[in-house]
Amino acid sequence: MSEPNGKATPAACGAVVIRTDEVARDVRVIALEIPQDVPVPTPGQFYQVDCGGGREHLLPRPIGAFDARSSNGVLSLAFLVESVGWGTERLCSLVPGDSIRILGPLGRGFSAAEGKALIVAGGVGLAPLHFLASSMDKAGEPYVLLAGVASKERYIAPLSTLTGEVQVFSDDGTIGENGLVCDAAGPRLSDGGFSKVYACGPELMMAVVAGAAEAQGVPCEVSLDSRMACGIGACRGCVKAGADGKNLCVCTDGPVFDSRAVKWTSPLNAPLGSNLKREFPERESK
Amino acid sequence: MTADLAVQLAGINLNNPVLLASGTAGYGKELAPVIDLSRLGAVILKSVTVEPSRGNPEPRIWETASGMLNSIGLENVGIDALVGEVLPSLKDLGLPLIASIAGDTVRGFAQLGAKLESAGGVTAVEINVSCPNVEKGGIQFGVDPGATKTVVMAVRENCSLPVFVKLSAAVSNITQIADAAGQAGAFGLSLINTIQGLAIDAARRRPRLGGVTGGLSGPAIKPIALKAVWDCYRATGLPIIGGGGVYDSEDVVEFMLAGATAVTVGSAIFNDPARVVEIVEGLPDAIERAGASSAKELIGGLRV
Repeated sequence: MSEPNGKATPAACGAVVIRTDEVARDVRVIALEIPQDVPVPTPGQFYQVDCGGGREHLLPRPIGAFDARSSNGVLSLAFLVESVGWGTERLCSLVPGDSIRILGPLGRGFSAAEGKALIVAGGVGLAPLHFLASSMDKAGEPYVLLAGVASKERYIAPLSTLTGEVQVFSDDGTIGENGLVCDAAGPRLSDGGFSKVYACGPELMMAVVAGAAEAQGVPCEVSLDSRMACGIGACRGCVKAGADGKNLCVCTDGPVFDSRAVKWTSPLNAPLGSNLKREFPERESK
Repeated sequence: MTADLAVQLAGINLNNPVLLASGTAGYGKELAPVIDLSRLGAVILKSVTVEPSRGNPEPRIWETASGMLNSIGLENVGIDALVGEVLPSLKDLGLPLIASIAGDTVRGFAQLGAKLESAGGVTAVEINVSCPNVEKGGIQFGVDPGATKTVVMAVRENCSLPVFVKLSAAVSNITQIADAAGQAGAFGLSLINTIQGLAIDAARRRPRLGGVTGGLSGPAIKPIALKAVWDCYRATGLPIIGGGGVYDSEDVVEFMLAGATAVTVGSAIFNDPARVVEIVEGLPDAIERAGASSAKELIGGLRV
């Protein structure tokens, strides 16, 4: 990584779709070119991507960089997008020659590891971690990447382009090891030799990985996902609860955080009506 | 000839009528790296409360058809940080700043007004009596003419800056409340705040927002906002900051024809922060298309 944790000034720009490839069921890599001199993202940084919905769909979608390189004043940028709703479906239906508007790079990316890293990815949480791993490949830095997918048809093909050690897990055993990737993190860490853990995926998965890292005394960085509006720290729409009782602003303080800074709860999993009470006990007194 | 964009809002000279709406633009600084704020008429800062507030539990944002719900719940740094840190850092921004205050009691509103009076760096004050996402204060004041009047008088007694009262359209008769605000000494009105709504994840039988309900904004509420502006303009004649679902220059013209002197852009900047500057750039043509040669000619010019 050239600029770990780098925060370049974001730029709003038009990007042209160069190619798109289906790399797993409902998952595509969308390769873009931005024909101007704009900042290059570091692994973990993201873009606000306008899905072209105009008035009908106001909000851009925050999407992490999957790959990026700059040459001759042109930024080549790729996103890994799973079609899960209106916006991502629109992105997955783009064809070469289409233009989209993006704002970025935004947020804080991963910081560098000093020594071997354990990288744990759940589903399309692989996106920023694949970018991280391929950057580490280029720099000749060692890592082990554990990638969890639901099933064989959800295996994300670009994993095979990485030169580091990659181990695949599937929920149904149709590819790689049968089991949850987060459960594999602990045993792997107890083998020793890791200086850092990186995780991105479902929140529960990251919580388990963060717990395993903490138990082994290895620093862990997680990349959080959140519904966003502005992406630049103005609206406070994307915040998550921090371990210290303060809010973490995912778009500008993150999306990458030290796992110990995060309060690992998922309010909407709680019984109906208990949200305010559980998260904000001071509000019960009314 | 290019249409003249300058307007006078209750005695405040604005280079153009396009403002950033409170809540969407943070404290101004957040947008500064992305757009040239000096191109705008003014910025209305995020509402502050007496004490800093953490706001509501997440998730706080949900996109809806032609709009969005938010349940931020007035997360803010508090009046002391606004006065001590934020306002001094905005000195060189080069445009009028309108502070927004949200007390949870009348006394709180009075305190907030008093602190802004002595702060400096603020051109006007927006009194937010219509936030739908807080348990105390907020819309509790804004649905009641008497309570609105009490709040406005409390601020006016403690603060000599021009005050605008931000109202909700989700009331039985907005003109009564607007009237009450005017009688209490409001310089003008700010219309409208978000409208309470609910989004549901049917498969999980759960609300989409951590605060259960939220405030609806975006193009979906534009017709409601236009009517509120039109009604209050005719009933009170007070200067109006209008907004709700503004997405392009044409929308600004529509709000001015309904009676607004200035127009806020809110949720549309999430789509693209630069949109607000593009709205200013497109305004001269939009004004000419409406058969006018200046922005101020449009105010209340709707023909019925």
